[in-house]
Amino acid sequence: MDTHAFASLAQVRILLVPVGNISESTFNKYATELRTFDAIRLGDIPADNKDERARFMPNPLSTGYLHLSFPTHPPPFSHLPLSLLRPSNFPLAVIGLAACSKTDTLPTILAEFNSALLDIFPAGGMYPLAKNCFVFEEGEGNTNVNLGDNLPSLVVIPSMMGNKKLYIGTLLADLCSHVLGEFGTLVQGLESPAGNEHLNSALMPMLPPPDLAQPLDNGNGRKRDSLPPIPNGHSDMKTGFNLSSASNKRNSSSGSAFRHSTLSVPPAKKRLSSIGVASSHGRLFKVLGDFYLLAGRTEDAAVWYNEALLLFKSSSDAIWQAATLEGMATVSIIDAWSAGQGLNTSISSNKDQWIDVFDKLSQAITLYHRSPSVDGEHNYSLLAYLYSCSVLRQASLLFSIWSAKGWGPLAFSTMLQPGPTPYLPPTLSHEGLTSWAHLERLSTLSGISRSNISTVLSQVHGPWLLHLGPRERISILENTASLYSCLGYRRKEAYILREVLGCILDLIVCGREEDGFSRLSSVPLPAGLGIQGPNSAGSSQRGGNVGVRFSENMDGNESVLKLLKYVCKVLGINLDAVRVLENPDVNSAPVETSTASIEDEIATEFSEPYGWPELQVGVVREAVAVAEALPDYLAVAQFALSSLKTLQSVLSSGDQYHLYATANRALLTAHRRGDSKSVEYWSGKPLVSISLSPLPLVRLPIEKPLSALQARASDIAPILTGATDPFLYNPRRALGQGKTLVVQNELLEFVVALRNPYVFDLEIQALTLSTSGVPFESKPVRVVLPSTSYHVVTLTGKATETGPLVIRGCFVQAPGGTKREFTLPISTPEEEERISRRRAALECEVGRSKYAGLDCFPWEKAGKRSSAQLSTSTTKTPLRFSEFTVVPEQPLLRIRRTSVTHGAVMMYNGEMSTIRVTLENVSPLPIDFLRLVFDDSTIAPAQQALANGDLSVFDTYETEYDLLHRPVFSWNKEETKDIPPGHKLTVNINCYGKVGCTTGTVHVSYSYVHRPAANLDPSPPVFHTRQLSYPVMVTVYHMLECQGMDILPFPSVPSDLNDEQADGDEYRGNEAGWCLFSVEVRNTYGLPFEVSFERIQQGRLRSTTSTTVSPGSTSRMVIPIKRFILSEAHISQPIPTLSDRQFIVTKSKLSKTQERAQRELFWYREELFKNLRGRWREAGGSRSGDLSLRQQRMSLPMLETLRTETAAIQMTLHRQEGEDKVPCTVTGGKFYPQSSEFVYLRTKVTNLSLTSQVFTIDFDLQSSQHIIFEGLLRDVPIGRLESGESREVETGLCFLAYGRFEISAEAKIVGSSESKGTGRLTAMVRAEG
Amino acid sequence: MSHHLFLLSPSDTPLYSLTHYSTKPASTIASPLSSNLPNWSTSAFAGTLTALSGAGSSAHQTASGTVRMGGGQDRHVIQIIANASLDAIEDIMKTQNAMFLKSVDKFNEWTISAFITPGNMKFVLLHEGKNDDGIKSFFTDVWELYVKTMLNPFHTAHTPIKSLVFDARVRASAKKNL
Repeated sequence: MDTHAFASLAQVRILLVPVGNISESTFNKYATELRTFDAIRLGDIPADNKDERARFMPNPLSTGYLHLSFPTHPPPFSHLPLSLLRPSNFPLAVIGLAACSKTDTLPTILAEFNSALLDIFPAGGMYPLAKNCFVFEEGEGNTNVNLGDNLPSLVVIPSMMGNKKLYIGTLLADLCSHVLGEFGTLVQGLESPAGNEHLNSALMPMLPPPDLAQPLDNGNGRKRDSLPPIPNGHSDMKTGFNLSSASNKRNSSSGSAFRHSTLSVPPAKKRLSSIGVASSHGRLFKVLGDFYLLAGRTEDAAVWYNEALLLFKSSSDAIWQAATLEGMATVSIIDAWSAGQGLNTSISSNKDQWIDVFDKLSQAITLYHRSPSVDGEHNYSLLAYLYSCSVLRQASLLFSIWSAKGWGPLAFSTMLQPGPTPYLPPTLSHEGLTSWAHLERLSTLSGISRSNISTVLSQVHGPWLLHLGPRERISILENTASLYSCLGYRRKEAYILREVLGCILDLIVCGREEDGFSRLSSVPLPAGLGIQGPNSAGSSQRGGNVGVRFSENMDGNESVLKLLKYVCKVLGINLDAVRVLENPDVNSAPVETSTASIEDEIATEFSEPYGWPELQVGVVREAVAVAEALPDYLAVAQFALSSLKTLQSVLSSGDQYHLYATANRALLTAHRRGDSKSVEYWSGKPLVSISLSPLPLVRLPIEKPLSALQARASDIAPILTGATDPFLYNPRRALGQGKTLVVQNELLEFVVALRNPYVFDLEIQALTLSTSGVPFESKPVRVVLPSTSYHVVTLTGKATETGPLVIRGCFVQAPGGTKREFTLPISTPEEEERISRRRAALECEVGRSKYAGLDCFPWEKAGKRSSAQLSTSTTKTPLRFSEFTVVPEQPLLRIRRTSVTHGAVMMYNGEMSTIRVTLENVSPLPIDFLRLVFDDSTIAPAQQALANGDLSVFDTYETEYDLLHRPVFSWNKEETKDIPPGHKLTVNINCYGKVGCTTGTVHVSYSYVHRPAANLDPSPPVFHTRQLSYPVMVTVYHMLECQGMDILPFPSVPSDLNDEQADGDEYRGNEAGWCLFSVEVRNTYGLPFEVSFERIQQGRLRSTTSTTVSPGSTSRMVIPIKRFILSEAHISQPIPTLSDRQFIVTKSKLSKTQERAQRELFWYREELFKNLRGRWREAGGSRSGDLSLRQQRMSLPMLETLRTETAAIQMTLHRQEGEDKVPCTVTGGKFYPQSSEFVYLRTKVTNLSLTSQVFTIDFDLQSSQHIIFEGLLRDVPIGRLESGESREVETGLCFLAYGRFEISAEAKIVGSSESKGTGRLTAMVRAEG
Repeated sequence: MSHHLFLLSPSDTPLYSLTHYSTKPASTIASPLSSNLPNWSTSAFAGTLTALSGAGSSAHQTASGTVRMGGGQDRHVIQIIANASLDAIEDIMKTQNAMFLKSVDKFNEWTISAFITPGNMKFVLLHEGKNDDGIKSFFTDVWELYVKTMLNPFHTAHTPIKSLVFDARVRASAKKNL
């Protein structure tokens, strides 16, 4: 569009107009060709020396140049008032460009050209001064070219012409010559007094040709060949001088009048009626200067400008004065250019050379700025335009010098011939040259700092911009933005660009509101759009007004969006954070993986705030609004979502709602309109965790090696080894072993936790599991995540084959977006390590800023980081995901019914009862493996105690015995058999009442082991079982309590009473090897029980004692037991352990003897319990059970009583009757010897022990003074006795008194003082008779 | 006459901002060019444009006479001007050693002065009149207060300053100096 080249005042504008149906590319081609003629040597211009037309013609030998520019847009009509003040603003000539094909005839082309001109230039304007139409012949055609000669303003350029350029140059020179001639005519009109008055009549006078022509000269307006009086001469150099003196004189006379008039009457009031009144010639001289400048005659221009300035100094015609100053500044640059033409060497940073120009422009700017607003409303826009242009001119002066590294030819050509990219000088056009250092270098070289340029440039910005028409405003803002951009002031550039966008969008919106048609042509879209027809004639004839839907004109949207993104980027918002992707094929699996997601997460965790939050929010809102207004729905969605993603912490909740709603709406619209693109998933990583919801225990398959089916060789009951798993099948153990097992064709439930950090409810259109491995059937789920919370979703699916199943993560798809996979790898230690390292490094870095401002955009940070710690962590280990093993289909069993009511069993302690459980196979697979395992509440504490190892050996044995031999539950393995599908099986389970048991569980493991091998591969050495658990509540009543066990000696019955009342010869007291076992049985329950103890000693008669124990009472049960002795070998065995425990160190610190005593106690107790059995029965009921004595302890006295003595001593008294020794009379176990008579005490010692021993006997005669005895009483040797052998010793005695004598004997083993057996004899000595 | 102070972190994030209305009258001379502005109400975008070009504030000025108490100035525009002035500030601070950059930039009716701490914090002040000495001493006060705030070990270069004491003291200094 409009360029504001510095030297635009000196450029003859030639408008290029497309004529006929010339294509855009062809037009551009020819236009480019024409544009190569940016300057024409004055010498090349054919002089037309006719009268006044010759005035501006170049001298034949002049060396100057005529500068040309070729715009393709005419200035807006509103600029017409500038036509005398700023003639260079208007196209002085028009060239129509037409392409001639066979069908076109030249007259029609000419007609079209003329009508186009009528459209472009209003009737009132004085420009263009010349016109021509270039018809380029296309192809090899031989059209009616010849006709061209007849038409005056039409030139046909044949396609076969060799040196087109030369020809065109000639044509252009002709055209320029014409223009210069017209200058003369024009000036002639103005020089007349009427013309001069007209010139001074208004601030910005217009010169309508008829107005000027008719009253002054009566000729027709087009050909001004009449000669108004010209005060000044013909030859140029001389006239300049004369004129100046003349004007000086005139000035002195008329200046005051003029001043007076301006002071009293505003110029606006001046009418054409005041023609003839002498006015200052300042404006006239200025116009002359302008024309001379355009004509390339700078010396003349300078002279006239100086004249004008002198006049303006006294009058206050600020605008004209300023315009003059601008012209003078241009003159200096042109002169400098011509002087330096061809010399590329001299570049200087000396300010003196351009400070003059700069000052002139500053002066002009000040004048414009302060110009009084006198001339009615409409002038504001033009004044503001002039002001802005002059500011831009000054800025571009500095900029050109700066960018050209100093005052030199390069700077001049930049100012004169800006070329296609006026604001991208060669010094800045390379990529790397925009660095700060380079820009600063330019400043140093040229002596102009960038802030200087910026200060000058910032003057252009102000409220007055609103006065400008949209076209001028956009143009000026664009230029400003480009300058800022080149200076590297990107924030300022962004500021200005926002205004540009505002302008453009305002026009779009307004244009749309007015009507649907004009919008397309009247909206000036941003630069780079290319040529637009200057007139919308083509579009205006489109018919239709109702119900027509126009397809949106998408031209330029791209550029607007680009600008938006750029502006946002400068403010630190990445609007491309959410990418727009081509909608992928539904079938093709997205290959994209988000492996770096963890890094991203950490990075975002430590991201520092960048930018100005309030500005960012504002600019984002604006961006969305702009995209909506265009409308570009995808861009709306992209912008809204990008800002949600990147600015989440900054946006208020209202904004978040708004952006989300807008994005959704826009996406819907875009889809409705068939847009094939969509946005990628945006809302960070929503996935928090995925876990398989644990299978119900009945469905959980457990892997077992096939070898488990073989008979077990080991003898240790697993129930004792509590530390290792006591159960054959433990579901918890399986979980710990890595891969979880799932079953083929059974529904799996995955619990997915999702997160929504936003304040609105986030909708996810489709959420599916991302799996690899075996095929997995699942359906996408639509989820709405509540705002700022975590949400748990259950996804179900089914694996259809056996093998490994890997859950990688989830596919997430937002409405209208594309699918994206979020993986959830299992963190390995290395990964954890790596992440924590990274985190630490970032943590160390956070809060420190190496780069500031625009150098530290968040998205550039990673690239600029030079920390070695962070960069080296790129070695990727393959990610691990949670894996499951899909096993073949499994049968399913259920408990159909049980005999237990309410799941509870009630028993008395020691009672045995039975539970019946009926199992049913509800699957289509048979069950050929069934096993029951039990658990109850007594097992765990016992195992715990065993595992602790604190128990004494004795207690250990007791506990182990309890576990092994008295389990609460047991079953008969023989009952198992195959269960075909749909069949039932009843299993009997025995229960034993054990005090302390509260609950128990029956675990049923089953499987289909012997399935037909479908495939040929070796069958896996495993099979899978499932488990069914049946919990049972157990209540055991503790009703009978045994206590106070005792073993008493069976005393010798005094024979006085009755010798024969005992049962045969069974119980013969101690001497006969009997003792009494007694225990107290207490009934703590509410019912009477009948308790019986039975002796089942080997080789003896069975005997029972029973009694009924009533509630609350205690009964002592007594039963005689034959004493026994255990062999030394038996006793010396250590207390056995039932498990395979190895006691490495005996913990007890017992001495040898103590240990032996303990062992003895143990073994005798065991033997005792083997020989006794306690039973109870409900009185009047049917329930019965065992009564356990195991709680009872055995003490040493009891042991002594129970154990048979080592030696048995039998003593008898004998009388000497002749040779024979006759036993004395014995009555009731007492002997009745005579007194004072010699008797023999015969003592028989029997070795009852199981080894041979050497015995001695000690006698104890209590009343020894009344007894005479023979031999020794102490240590009477008996000698060695084999086991069971007996020997007698005789001792002579004589009782010397009457009375009762007790004689006792004690057997001892030689070398020990311990009594091994005692004997006793009572003798009654009485007087005869 | 109003003053706008912004404390900007190295990443251009404002950590603290203050709007101060001084009792001194505004002394700016409005250009005749900016009078009689057309009344734009065509679209929302025109509103943006109006605000950004600075017409909003001057429109307000003409509406309510010479006294202008805040409200009419678009906060957003003030902020974006402050932000844009960072270009000039960054440019100059690279070549000059001075901490106090007086009148470093001008935009619309605003003059921008800046103060750069050794930690690359930028204090940006938008003001209308000329008051170099006052502004310099104001900046020095603010710097001292800022340094005291930074002594807090939990305060990083990116932590917004929310201390009421800081605020009160800055206001007091503004009252005194501006």
